[in-house]
Amino acid sequence: MLISKRKSGQMEMIGLVIIVILLSLGMLFMAQFALSEDGKKKIFTRKGLAYSTVSALMKTTVMDVDCTNNYGKWTKPQIGKDILEDCAKNFDYSPGGYSLYTCQGMHSCEFLEKEITLLLNETLGEWNKGYVFRSKLIKATGDKPELIMGPIQSGGGCPKSKERDGSGLFPIHTEAGLVETELFLCD
Amino acid sequence: MTETIAVLFIFFILILFGIIFYAKYQQVAFKDKQEELLAARAMDSTLKTLFLPELICSKGEAEPEDNCFDLMKLKYANETFGKHMDDYYFNIFSYARISITETYPNSDNKWVIYDKEKVKEDGNGTLVPNWDRREPTYFIVTIRDENNEQGQPEYRLGYLTVEAYS
Repeated sequence: MLISKRKSGQMEMIGLVIIVILLSLGMLFMAQFALSEDGKKKIFTRKGLAYSTVSALMKTTVMDVDCTNNYGKWTKPQIGKDILEDCAKNFDYSPGGYSLYTCQGMHSCEFLEKEITLLLNETLGEWNKGYVFRSKLIKATGDKPELIMGPIQSGGGCPKSKERDGSGLFPIHTEAGLVETELFLCD
Repeated sequence: MTETIAVLFIFFILILFGIIFYAKYQQVAFKDKQEELLAARAMDSTLKTLFLPELICSKGEAEPEDNCFDLMKLKYANETFGKHMDDYYFNIFSYARISITETYPNSDNKWVIYDKEKVKEDGNGTLVPNWDRREPTYFIVTIRDENNEQGQPEYRLGYLTVEAYS
């Protein structure tokens, strides 16, 4: 009699343990779904912001400082179309050597690095976003990409271990080869 | 008998813990959902603003430029938005504040093109803010200036801020 009662008590305990395990599993699943939905929104916002940042930067005209071209004439070059292209062409002479555009007395590569650091710091840096910006030059098909600008980074950069999103590659065809610019953003 | 009652008691205690935990989780999830909806609204408004014909850089029948606002349009947008805020723009942006700030070359330039705050009347009849949170969304844009001496368009750098009120 006593043995049978003990047995039924044990069975009930096992039943309880199973119920508790099922409840815990259910809650874990619920929490997981809730977290994954939030992630999607963040990815979308980061991607959009990264894309718009590079797109706007490449179009920006340098206006506030004195820039001169090859003939020593005052000019207003665009960051992507003019200065980055010039930097790619004359990268080998950087920092002290020849470049078509000279802004604030600097070689185009040197000036570009300084200006983009400043612009990114005033926008993404102000909003406490971590970022990495870089431009690479691919001289010929199959060549190893050569870093011509950056990495310009803030907040410890965006290593692959962090949740990050990129702007995608912004390619510019130049006489020196293909220049690919990319920005990674992370929170 | 006593064993069964004890087991049932523990079982109901566990169920109670489960219910309390679930209720707490639901409270947090509800808040999160509200925040998410607000962020989604801010994002929607940002996208709508980026493609507004009243602001976007266009040239005749050519394709409009991405992530670009026309400086001339910006200067007069406040007037247009103000005139039709309730009968047109409110249906698009609801309660929100939309502004464009120039960061380069002049960081002092700022244009608030739409500002509709959720307000209520307090006991004295004065209007006080009636919102709990506002969710800002940023987008970096260029501001095209075609009205310059050289006749070539110049592009300034700025950012669009859309703040949605909950």
